[in-house]
Amino acid sequence: MKTMSPALKGDVITGSAVTVVGLVYYIATFWIQETKNIVTPRTFPAIVGVALILLGVFIVVQAVYRGKKAAEVGPGDGDTASASVDGDGATASASVSSGVVLDAPEDPPSKKVVLQFALFFVYLALLIPVGFLLSTAAFLMTMTSIYARDRWIRNLIFSVLFAVIIYVAFVYGLAVYLPVGILG
Amino acid sequence: MDTLIDLGGGFASALEPVSLAFALLGVLLGTVVGVLPGIGPISAIAILIPVSFGMEPVHGLILLCGIYYGSMYGGSITATLIKTPGEVASAVTAIEGYEMARRGRGKAALATAAIGSFLAGTLAIVGLTFLSPVLVKLANVFGATEYFLLMATALLLASTMSSGSRAKALVSIFIGLAVGLVGLDFQTGLPRQTFGMSLLSDGIDFTIFAMALFAIPEAIRNLALGRGAKDVIQSFGDDTWMTKQDWQRSAMPWARGSVLGFIIGILPGVGPSLASFMSYIMEKRISKRKSEFGKGAIEGVAGPEAANNAGVGGAMIPLFSLGIPGSATTALLLFVFTMYGLQPGPLIFRDESGLIWTIIASMYIGNVALIILNLPLVGVFVKLLKMPKEILFSSILVLVVIGAYAIEFSLFGLMMLGIFGVIGYLMEKGGIPLAPSILALVLVPLLEDNFRRMLQISGGSFMPLLTRPVSLSIILLMVAGIIAPIIFRWWVRRRQLLADVSVG
Repeated sequence: MKTMSPALKGDVITGSAVTVVGLVYYIATFWIQETKNIVTPRTFPAIVGVALILLGVFIVVQAVYRGKKAAEVGPGDGDTASASVDGDGATASASVSSGVVLDAPEDPPSKKVVLQFALFFVYLALLIPVGFLLSTAAFLMTMTSIYARDRWIRNLIFSVLFAVIIYVAFVYGLAVYLPVGILG
Repeated sequence: MDTLIDLGGGFASALEPVSLAFALLGVLLGTVVGVLPGIGPISAIAILIPVSFGMEPVHGLILLCGIYYGSMYGGSITATLIKTPGEVASAVTAIEGYEMARRGRGKAALATAAIGSFLAGTLAIVGLTFLSPVLVKLANVFGATEYFLLMATALLLASTMSSGSRAKALVSIFIGLAVGLVGLDFQTGLPRQTFGMSLLSDGIDFTIFAMALFAIPEAIRNLALGRGAKDVIQSFGDDTWMTKQDWQRSAMPWARGSVLGFIIGILPGVGPSLASFMSYIMEKRISKRKSEFGKGAIEGVAGPEAANNAGVGGAMIPLFSLGIPGSATTALLLFVFTMYGLQPGPLIFRDESGLIWTIIASMYIGNVALIILNLPLVGVFVKLLKMPKEILFSSILVLVVIGAYAIEFSLFGLMMLGIFGVIGYLMEKGGIPLAPSILALVLVPLLEDNFRRMLQISGGSFMPLLTRPVSLSIILLMVAGIIAPIIFRWWVRRRQLLADVSVG
């Protein structure tokens, strides 16, 4: 495992996660009431659960096997060996059936991703109690200011204007009534 | 002949001012959203579905079809000028188109893409017009067995033909199936996979799932990346649009791309992305100017862009006549049909023939609108590329939140959006493609229903799969469809194309 490339390590994690999801999903099918039909309500969910478990295990085994093979070839060649197997598995870049290799998108730092998601969830939680206008303006201001702190005046104007315009467009134009919250 | 009369009727209502306005609006809106970096046709439609709530079905569908076309073209602008393809289909344009733009030939690249898209798109709609009624007749002999098989084929092909790992594409499909099975079983009314939460018994809303998967991970990723190196926007040059030589070099790739794209598009489960890749490889192989590929060969833009758009028309055929979507994007359109209480398939041509022919006619109009509006307006669209990322992606987050709110009007719906956004992000991080799961989610009720009916009719035996002639032919085609790409790959590798096509 020590010589495993990051891509293969990622596959071990992905495969394990898929297996766990499949397992939970399969266990949940035990609560479905059985009927006397040929195909019971449980049949499909059970198939899906088992398939996820098998696929997860397959991805892990494949990664471990490739890692071993790469280790035999020599530690330096590990990455290239796995990447040239027509993208089947371990490459970070998307290579499509016949070898047109595309640049992989950049990966942002995990800490920042967690922060962004956390802020998004705060916005989701506040939307209804606080109301669309205030929560949206605050959310936009926060997101844009984390990104570009120096342009706070532009961010403020954008946040307020965008919230107001969207509110008017949806409520008066499309008759989608957005929450008014504490302003109502 | 009947077809022409139906189509004529369709044109009569598609040319009414309101319908015409929605077709133009759709194309324009689609282009604008498609130009935004990182947003492809799937995300564009997913984000804009809520706009069509409460519209007349025919207007909503005309609008969304226009958005589909527009966003494909918008995506090729982005690919050409900043090398950021919105989705896999325009990824090859990002190779040759960007190189052309770097050499000051951006205008020619955009023109060949637009004209090729128009020609191929129109040809594909002609195909759609005349093939759909034939397929509808054929579909009359289809029973539960055949429908089950076709849907299973679609899912299988979607996993074998997508990019990257096949095991992971299958994972994506099973995730879609898993999500689709949550809620009350429609046959027995028993709750399934609800984990005891009564709120889950209505199932997970398709639009929320689609928006969460296709908008949130991309937005969060870009916002979290922060201000990095700025995208270099190539000017599209003040050079002439296309020289005589450009026309000559584009003509054959357009034609080949159209045919290839159309055929691939019809296959269930295979979207236009494969069509554009195959066209690229084909053009490179038969070109006399192989050395120009990777350095801005116009054939490498003309062919794939034509194939891409022909694929869109081709994919509409199984959607309209059988009710089986061929790709994630057409799955979204299928969802919109069902949202309006319409079920595409043989019956829609009988019961809602006016509606379906109006939509088909509006596609011809949309294609014309695309080329009339977009070539002159390209300068305006290019300005959109300069939109600051933080503003673009935070606005998108707000828009999907509104969409989710407009569906459920509850905190529960909003939380679902957030949770599936996280799941989508983790899937992308793990290399699991997102598109197949959308297809699976749309297909799961039909798949299960037909599977049950098949076994009920046969009393639990799987033999009808092999004894019914239509079903047997589908199985044979399916086996061929799975073996053919394997042989194709082997053949490509044998020719050692792999080495010299690699651009990364």
